[in-house]
Amino acid sequence: MVDRLLLLILFLIGFLTIVAKRNMIKKIFGLNIINAAVVILFVLEGSRIGMDAPISNGEPQQFVDPLPQALMLTAIVIGVCITALSLALAVHLYRIGGTFDIDKVKERLHDGL
Amino acid sequence: MMGYEDLVATTFMLPLLGAAIAFCAKLVGKERKIAKVCEYGGACIGLVAPIVVLVQLLPGMLDGQVITGIIGGWSGTVGITFRFDGLAWLIDLLGYTIALAAYIYSLSSGPKGPSFTGIFLIQSAALAATIMTNDLFNLFVCLEVLGITSYVLIPTSGKPGASLAAFSYLMVSATAMVFFLVGTYGLYRITGSLSYAGIAGGLATMDPEAYGVAVMSLSVLVAAVAIRVAVMPLYGWLPDAHALAPHAISAVLSGVLIKTPLFALSRVLVLFPIGGRVGYLMGLAGGITAFLGVVLALSQSDAKRLLAYHSISQIGYVVAAWGMAAHMGIHTPEGAALMVAAYLHALFHALFKGLLFFSIGTTTDVTKVRDVLASRNSIASLRSAGERLPITFVTFLAGALSITAIPPFNGFVSKYLVGSSLKGSLVSFLLIAAGVGTVASFIKLSRIYWPMKHTFPQSVEKITFLPRHLAQLLLASLCIATGIWAPWIIGIVGKLLGGVSRLDGFSPYSPDNLIKTGSTVVGGILLFLLMGRPWVSDILHRIRDRRMDFKGLFVSFSLGTAAMALWLWV
Repeated sequence: MVDRLLLLILFLIGFLTIVAKRNMIKKIFGLNIINAAVVILFVLEGSRIGMDAPISNGEPQQFVDPLPQALMLTAIVIGVCITALSLALAVHLYRIGGTFDIDKVKERLHDGL
Repeated sequence: MMGYEDLVATTFMLPLLGAAIAFCAKLVGKERKIAKVCEYGGACIGLVAPIVVLVQLLPGMLDGQVITGIIGGWSGTVGITFRFDGLAWLIDLLGYTIALAAYIYSLSSGPKGPSFTGIFLIQSAALAATIMTNDLFNLFVCLEVLGITSYVLIPTSGKPGASLAAFSYLMVSATAMVFFLVGTYGLYRITGSLSYAGIAGGLATMDPEAYGVAVMSLSVLVAAVAIRVAVMPLYGWLPDAHALAPHAISAVLSGVLIKTPLFALSRVLVLFPIGGRVGYLMGLAGGITAFLGVVLALSQSDAKRLLAYHSISQIGYVVAAWGMAAHMGIHTPEGAALMVAAYLHALFHALFKGLLFFSIGTTTDVTKVRDVLASRNSIASLRSAGERLPITFVTFLAGALSITAIPPFNGFVSKYLVGSSLKGSLVSFLLIAAGVGTVASFIKLSRIYWPMKHTFPQSVEKITFLPRHLAQLLLASLCIATGIWAPWIIGIVGKLLGGVSRLDGFSPYSPDNLIKTGSTVVGGILLFLLMGRPWVSDILHRIRDRRMDFKGLFVSFSLGTAAMALWLWV
């Protein structure tokens, strides 16, 4: 139970970072943190039925559920794409607005439009 | 000989192939002729060939066939399965028609280049894949691909605001997708399966104690999709993104991208015994969205932003019909009729909103003024930019008459269908009010074409009209054709969506309905006149200048999810 609680806290830290921080880079950190929390949650779920790696010469009864792990590989790849793209956008906005503060960028864009 | 299975798989494989060919153009260097051949060849393979495939598939679909298969010939336990039915065929048709028109339009208006073509094709492939997917995780992947391609395509307009819009959209949508994953986790935990059939089976034999987990999981899934669909109150990202994207992309985003996730969600919703309650709530939200969207649209002065708010309003119509269909159960006659109405309005809206974005896009590209209040006499500006016949004005008119539901344009039929199948409910009154507002706001928008004696000094630049006109005329003729042959189209859509070959009491040209249309128009004109009053325009100004911030999106997402969970729980 305690591991799930820790994951919840991790998730909330990430979520609050996205919502409350005005710095775009920190928001991207937050996105990565909630993503990581969910990835760990899935892996944890897979280990409910066993702890061994599902490769040959082991006891099949001791294997973890391989499906969540396979899914999370995909989710991690998607997460990396999103991170790369959001960083690119953040840098682009930094060049336009001269700051990473999303509210200030917005104000400056509003003045410029 | 290709089997049906392989043929179906080509509907999303062809755009991917086209994208790969288009990217090859980057390898050979920009100046070489072969680069153009690669790019346009790729676009042809990716956008025209799927339409040919769809035509080939139609007879089988009309017989009620459902084609399932596994990608790459893997065994059923490890491979990704897909399921292609009438709904998938219809959504593919919608997606590829708009994508083709938008691509033709982009040849003149930009963005150009192999990278754009490639990403645009990947987006089309993801659309086709989204509606064919047969398991929850694959749905997650498809939605992410749809999202990622739009975050890339929105800033290609080069407007600084577009990058900010893309960033906000990315943040809120990526966060929502993490919640979607949590929902997937919840369902996997209680049912031990991810495929739709497996989840339905698991829910039937579920431990009653796990009911709460099921409710929570469904709520976050629906809320994550609702963000993409931009239902109130989760609409905040849409206006900037759609208004600042390149015109061609605006058309695809408004026409296709906000609807595909909705119809894909209906596949998930039918698995749940409580899905009908979600449908009811969504239907109600749809009605409110339709109404509030118009109010917000009325207050706008930027031409494309006005259209973007209308997308929110029109998607409200679709969601209202769709939600009530899910509420009634899509296999009951009433539910099926509502589903037909929802799809038809989605299709027709894609046609006329694409057309409106193109026409307004061409006009604002020439006049360089996007403010509805400042721009006048655009027909003359267009003429001095090289347009001999006022085609853009005529196509704008076709789009405007469609969206305001004037016969015989297509919007008239689909709005009648939505309205008549919801008759008497609270939602239908909201939709009537929305119709009045739509008329008023399009009178406001059409003023940019009004001739004026004292014209503004014009510095027009010449633009290439041919691809733009081609795309505009294609969509305009489709708007009229689908309006005139609507009964025939309803027959086909009804058959594909579950065996309703004909709708009872379908008579859009009955005196009653014509009177209703007439009074909506009169109401719209009165509302437009009223908008000139100082106190009304003061209110509208306040609405336009309301604070829209980043936090608001997340707060409404959290509250929306919580409200839905509560609604399902009680």
